[in-house]
Formats: sequence, C-alpha cells, structure tokens
Amino acid sequence: MGPARSLKVKKQRTTLTLPSDSLAKAKSIARARRLNLSAVISEALSEGLRVYAATERSEEVLSAYRKAFSGFTEEERALLDGIVLERAPRR
Amino acid sequence: MIDPASGPFLFDTSAESWLEQPADSEFSRWMGAYLSHHPIHVSAVTVMERVRGYSSLWQRSAGQKRYLVESARLAYLSALGRVWPLDEAVAIVAGEIMAMLPDPPTPPRRSHRWAESRQERLARWRFDGMIAATALVARMPLIHNNAADFEPVRSAIERSPVRFPGLGPLELVRCGSLV
Repeated sequence: MGPARSLKVKKQRTTLTLPSDSLAKAKSIARARRLNLSAVISEALSEGLRVYAATERSEEVLSAYRKAFSGFTEEERALLDGIVLERAPRR
Repeated sequence: MIDPASGPFLFDTSAESWLEQPADSEFSRWMGAYLSHHPIHVSAVTVMERVRGYSSLWQRSAGQKRYLVESARLAYLSALGRVWPLDEAVAIVAGEIMAMLPDPPTPPRRSHRWAESRQERLARWRFDGMIAATALVARMPLIHNNAADFEPVRSAIERSPVRFPGLGPLELVRCGSLV
C-alpha cells in the first residue's frame, strides 16, 4: 500500500435531510470550486465540528478560570497576581 | 473593540485575572469568541507567579481553606492553554529590557494594612520585563491590565530599536479596550 493510499480517510455513505437553501449554496460552491458535493459538505461539517468543540472547550476554560480566582480576599488575590504583601508596620 | 479572531494574544498575569468575570459579562462573551479561534497564551513566568501564590496561600492555611486553595490551583492548571517558555531568545530580550529599565516605574504596592517590600517590587518588575520579552519574541500583542509598568517598557523599546533587531514594537492592548 502506497503512502497516499494509507493516508486516505475512511468514508461512509449516509442519507441526510438538509435545508434546501443550504444544499443549493453547497452545490453552487461545488460547481465554482470544481469539487463534488460530498467534498464541500464534508469540509463544512468538519469546520462546524471544530467550532463546536472549540466552543465547548472555551466554556470549560472560562469556568475553570472562574473557579481558580473565586473565594479569595483582596490580599489573597494580590498574592495570586504575583503581588506579595506583608503586614504594614504601624506608623 | 478588538476582533477576537485577530489573535492570538499573550495574556499578562494581570490580564489573566480578568478571566474571572461573570459568564454574562461582555468580556466573557469576547473571551468565548476568542477561545473558539485561539488558546490563551501566557508566559511561563505568569504560571510561576500564580503557582507561587497558590502555594504560599496553601502553606499559610488549614482545613477547608487548604482544600479551596488546592482546588483553585488545579482549576487554574487545567485551564492553561499555550505556555511560552523562558528560552534563550526571551532571556536575551528580557536582559536588554532590564538593563534599560533597572528600576520599577512605580513604588511598591501599599494599603492601610499591607505593604509590598522593595525587594518583592523589584522581582515583580523583572518578571514584567520577562513577560514583555516573551510577547516580543512570540510576536504577539500583550493583553494587560498594568499600563503603569508596561508603557515604560514599550517606550524604551521604541527609543532603542537597535537593541531589539528584527523585533518590536511591543504592541500593548488593555483588557478594557478588548470589548
């Protein structure tokens, strides 16, 4: 088996019901780029799934940051920001 | 408003703290959009400052508070995106910045009960220099909430481009101007 063949993505045939306007746009893109319809829909689906995964990850990240910084006093927060404060001597 | 897709950006320690803002805030919506394009980039120095903070708090606390500090530390580490190392290039640039600006531009922090020592202020200033150097080497704008420290660094680099061949200017973006 050659390297090009071994890198081939495994594909599966399926039947989908798509909105007519989206399908029309996809066909138009396929014609303009001289690709087949499956390639255009597959590309759009991959991008959509990437954005979906990134959105899920972004919620996880922001929620983790909120947890990382909540429940601390002002002085403790300063310490977490790299500002080391000590009790000030009485004047 | 800065286009979230126009990143990636390097987040200073002071900017990272803004990530705590509530989920329904404008800043959080902006961050959500940013994260759908790029990870959060920080310097290893920021991670060091944070972990030092968590560890100091852990050492001086007990019981339930210790548990809270450790959970917060683990949450922080799980959120990290891309951490930039303090490598040879960053060390060279940071050394140039420190030589040009040996003294902190502002005095140690102080409140009615608490004060930062001169030694700690100097260390924090040096860390800021390393973070600015990381942004220059990574060729990323630096998101910050600490104009008093970073503006003098930006000006000094602008005045001496010969010391930073092929680098600069240092692009600064304040947290407040992102949204």
